[in-house]
Amino acid sequence: MNFFKKILFGAAVLGFMAGGTAEAKSKIVMDGSTTVGPIAKSFAAYFTKTKGVQVTVSESGSGNGAKSIINGTCDIANMSRAMKSKEAAAAKAKGVNPVEHIVALDGMAIVVHPSNRVNKLTKTQVRDIYTGKVTNWSQVGGPNASIVKIQRESNSGTQDTFMSLVMGKGNPVSKRAETQASNGAVKNRVASTPAAIGFIGLGFTDNSVKALSIDGVKPSVETVKDGTYPISRPLFMYTNGQPTGVVKEFIDLKDTSEGQRMISELGYVNK
Amino acid sequence: MNVGTRKILNRSFTAVGIGSIVVMGIALLIVIVPIIYNGVGAVFFTGTIEHRNMLYNEFGEGDEAELAKQNAAAGVYRKEVYAMLAGFEAELEAMESERQQEFRSKYGSVRNALTALMGPLPGDTGAMLTRFKYGQTRWEKAEEKLHEFLYEAKWDYSDPDAMAKEYYVSRAAEFEGTSLVKIFPYVEKHLEEIMRPEFTIYLGFLTDSSVDSHIFGGIWPEIQGTFFLAIGAMLFAFPLGVIAAVYFTEYAREGLFTSMLRSANSTLAGVPSIVFGLFGLAFFINTLGVSESKSVLAGSLTLAIMILPTIIRAAEEAILSVPRTYKEASLSLGSTKWNTIMTVILPAALPGIITGGVISLGRAAGETAPIIFTAAVSVGSAIGLADVFSSPTPALSWNIYNLASEHEAAAEIRHVQYGMVLALVGIVLLLNLSAILLRARISKKLKG
Repeated sequence: MNFFKKILFGAAVLGFMAGGTAEAKSKIVMDGSTTVGPIAKSFAAYFTKTKGVQVTVSESGSGNGAKSIINGTCDIANMSRAMKSKEAAAAKAKGVNPVEHIVALDGMAIVVHPSNRVNKLTKTQVRDIYTGKVTNWSQVGGPNASIVKIQRESNSGTQDTFMSLVMGKGNPVSKRAETQASNGAVKNRVASTPAAIGFIGLGFTDNSVKALSIDGVKPSVETVKDGTYPISRPLFMYTNGQPTGVVKEFIDLKDTSEGQRMISELGYVNK
Repeated sequence: MNVGTRKILNRSFTAVGIGSIVVMGIALLIVIVPIIYNGVGAVFFTGTIEHRNMLYNEFGEGDEAELAKQNAAAGVYRKEVYAMLAGFEAELEAMESERQQEFRSKYGSVRNALTALMGPLPGDTGAMLTRFKYGQTRWEKAEEKLHEFLYEAKWDYSDPDAMAKEYYVSRAAEFEGTSLVKIFPYVEKHLEEIMRPEFTIYLGFLTDSSVDSHIFGGIWPEIQGTFFLAIGAMLFAFPLGVIAAVYFTEYAREGLFTSMLRSANSTLAGVPSIVFGLFGLAFFINTLGVSESKSVLAGSLTLAIMILPTIIRAAEEAILSVPRTYKEASLSLGSTKWNTIMTVILPAALPGIITGGVISLGRAAGETAPIIFTAAVSVGSAIGLADVFSSPTPALSWNIYNLASEHEAAAEIRHVQYGMVLALVGIVLLLNLSAILLRARISKKLKG
């Protein structure tokens, strides 16, 4: 049958094309945090432009970044939290040696809708809101509206940081909190819901949401850098073993003036 | 039942039928019209000089002399604006410290709003990120930013029990009594001269790579990735599906085993696609290691498994619908079973098989969940054919999701997102259309 022959021929041609042009090309595959995402994407674009090395970036959450580097399916794992001891053990079992590189610092902004009169909260108040002890904005000096709590998914490094820096041990987030899957999604939800509260990386804040002062300190590049803003954290890139070759060049971007300018233009804080 | 009631019942049934078709049509329009309207806006729009500068600098497109002329013409008005800024800065320096403090932060936000509108101002340190190197590239966005430049949004917190209301304060009023007050009416009046809007057809949206994670540029890597994934999935699933269907219809003996296989196949067709995605990650990447990282290959295999049941079912139905007499005639002429299948049954069933294939192809192109973990990345350049075995790729379905929710500047680039949606709808239609044509040709050949 002629038709099948045509298909076979087409497949053969495709196969030859693939085989013929195959060559060892250096490339970098990155996976992980949506918070580190903008930095990774900007670095990737710059690196591809200047070095001609293909870099791909996936934003699937810190937890997935850790899994990918453990399974050896990425070169660099972006994470907005440090690797947990459990993950480190899993890595060891697979013969992977995760090495951490701090790329930048990030403040975690507690954001509300701009129409909310509340401008500041204490860490305890934020905790009480998320545990469900405080349910109405009027209890913390705001208008009479019940609070819509927005959190991140369990895979998120931002969620882990929030749990350890704000909630503390033994204070689970109320079951009525709503879960969103990325910084951008939390920001959109808060920007469209007047009574909402959420937490996002400082680099994601813009004038569609209002970042609150926490314990009297407004989140900003300066307050994160000097450590006065209470909820800040380093952002990581993990490699398997000490990086070499193009991966090393990529990681080293964070220490160059170009890399640092990109980080600060994106609204993150250079370490 | 008497004739009268029957008539009424008949009519009301017709009315319900027409009504539901109308409702469906309206629903379709509500979905399709904004997609087409906004999606077309990604290619056809009123572009500013910033767009043409960006194209020239990033892609080397455009006429250099013409662009220089336009820049010079716009520069005349821009210089006026810069002079006003410089004049105010000098005035600011001369103020006593309290007033200076008051104006400094206000001036900062004016400068930011102006930078957002027309790009870096003199005295700014050069931006590293491309998104900060240019002002607004689209006229409707420029008008939005003009509003932000002229008016400051504030919130009225006077009622302690209710959510505040937004109101706008003219920035000009805030700078009453200073030299900067002139700049607001000037920019408002001369916005066209400063930005030089022109009707633009940016076909590069379909053929360029993205610049600075989709803020500028096009969606070629996504389009290409979608094609690779869908066609790759078909390469695996179509032959396998047809062979399986031939086995089911011609070779398998009816019995417990076959009916179990059949029901397993039906069940597989109903499994949620995210399950296939996780299975693909666990099986193809982590267990088999078909590629070191996510890759087009792993994604295609996962999609292939997802669409396989549909193809098998469709092919089976198509083969069963071939009249028995064809087969019997062929066998009676002394043809072998294999020969009969290849030369009589399959060609006759081919149009039906292809229909099933087309439906699956559209599904493979549009599915997001199976490729999240196996093939899709949020940024990456267009990969060559040689890289499909090892490289992940951006793909329309995943990037639409990414731009809608995760992207840090999602609200600024809605047009790119709509453009991607329209491109995806277009690709699926195109694939369907070409398969329908192919099918028509084969049917015609069979009849003729």
